[in-house]
Amino acid sequence: MTVARLPGAGAASHGLADRLAGPVLLACTVAAAGTLVALAGVLGVEAGRFFAQVSPVRFFTEADWTPFAEEPRFGVLPLLAATAQITAGAGVFGVPAGLMTAVYLEHYAGARTERALTAVTALLAGVPTVVYGCFALDFVTPALRSLWPGTEAFNALSACLVVGLMIVPTVVLLSRAALKSVPAQLMEAGLALGASRGRVVARVLVPAALGGIVAAVFLALARAVGETMIVTLAAGNQAQPTWSPLEGLRTLTAFIAQSGPGGAPSGSLQYGAVFAASAVLLAFSWGLHAAGMFLVSRRRRGGAR
Amino acid sequence: MSAPPSRTDAVPALAADDLSVSFGPKTALAGVTLSIPRGRVVSIIGPSASGKTTLLRAFNRLNELTPGAVTTGAVRFNGIDLHGGEVDPVEVRRRIGMVFQQATVFPRSVFDNVAFGPRASGYGGDLHELAEEALTAAGLWSEVAEDLDAPALALSSGQQQRLCIARTLALKPEVLLLDEPTSALDPAATARIESSIHALKRDHTIVLATHGRRQAARLSDLTAYLAGGELVEYGPTETLFTNPRDPRTESYLTGRIP
Repeated sequence: MTVARLPGAGAASHGLADRLAGPVLLACTVAAAGTLVALAGVLGVEAGRFFAQVSPVRFFTEADWTPFAEEPRFGVLPLLAATAQITAGAGVFGVPAGLMTAVYLEHYAGARTERALTAVTALLAGVPTVVYGCFALDFVTPALRSLWPGTEAFNALSACLVVGLMIVPTVVLLSRAALKSVPAQLMEAGLALGASRGRVVARVLVPAALGGIVAAVFLALARAVGETMIVTLAAGNQAQPTWSPLEGLRTLTAFIAQSGPGGAPSGSLQYGAVFAASAVLLAFSWGLHAAGMFLVSRRRRGGAR
Repeated sequence: MSAPPSRTDAVPALAADDLSVSFGPKTALAGVTLSIPRGRVVSIIGPSASGKTTLLRAFNRLNELTPGAVTTGAVRFNGIDLHGGEVDPVEVRRRIGMVFQQATVFPRSVFDNVAFGPRASGYGGDLHELAEEALTAAGLWSEVAEDLDAPALALSSGQQQRLCIARTLALKPEVLLLDEPTSALDPAATARIESSIHALKRDHTIVLATHGRRQAARLSDLTAYLAGGELVEYGPTETLFTNPRDPRTESYLTGRIP
């Protein structure tokens, strides 16, 4: 007696793939989450060991970072200030440029221009940061020096400009996604009320997308906080704290990159300092993320007023 | 002897003269000629994709916002060619208001929505007074007067559509173009919008594109039947509904064409 079979019912491989999909995907998720836990654990343990020897109060209040001196000092403020400077500077250049590009591409550019510029943005996103760093050192800094002859070979301004350029694609891509989520009919509705295109964009479309735009800005700034290669190549690794944009400085990332791999012997106080600096860096970066998310959620709850 | 000066009433509020609109290879309107008398409600009925929306959009120059749109023939507003060189589309859209099929409220407060058009045109008077007037005319005032700062998106869809009407009325347009304003609404909300339209008849010329044959019969003085981008029949609503001249109109009205 034959048993009637539906066509395809014997394709056991489908069933296998389906049965495996759940566990495999779960394993990937667990691996990612596990990595995060391990990372935080290592940072916590090493930083804890460090703070057993160095007072956290002095760490966060003293403005003197000389870990490799005869009498090492671990006041993290200069590193923190330098990171904040670079982030703020990159934001000043990169955020307005990115936002204006996004609004232009979304609401003004013709189809052909839009395609071309979107491709350019994607290419910009694909440039390795070390290449950006060389560009800063070999092009931006000489240009700055011809403008202001006193500019040092390593200087903060060059780093700010190029990190700013680096975050432009992030700002463009993420804020365009936010602008796209606003119904297209609103533009027409605004024009039908006798408003100019610019007015509809400024009064309706951008405010409607503000939550996503704010998130885009904070995510881009978080990238700037963690940027290492450009900053090290452009702004150097100057121990001396300075506020002058034409002088070099040392960010958290520059210190970590310089001292982490082989710079400090394992188990030493300097080695611990790398992890303490990493913990501060991570807190800074996550803080920006959290602030962005908070602003987004508060806007959502506000009923998009 | 020269002819006596023609009364402005003799000039139709809107007139299409051999109007054709195409989007790329697709023809949406083919040689439509009709005039909309001042102070009347005119319904445009017809099946989906018959050109109703395109005709409405031609009346306040919205078609030109669509890439690839080509318009031939003429559209006249109070006798003035809307595509004439010196005509500003922004001014056209202020005097010929449009309400879309889907409520398109801005994600801002109720007040900001109503004030949007007047602010854009640099209105110098009292915006609150104007907002109250417009919201009252749209039949929404009593429901929103308590909290004009409430987010517009918190309103029901029927209220949102009336807010869109109020927003358009705040510009004090001479003509209102309503593009299937109730097609997305339930019967109760539809009834409220219809009573608003009824009240607006007094001061406005209204062109109403609608799917609802009965809605057209209830609200309009004149009705035009469009099919496939062509004007099949146009006349007094009662005549067209009770005694259509064209067999195509009759089969549409009896429901043989959806």
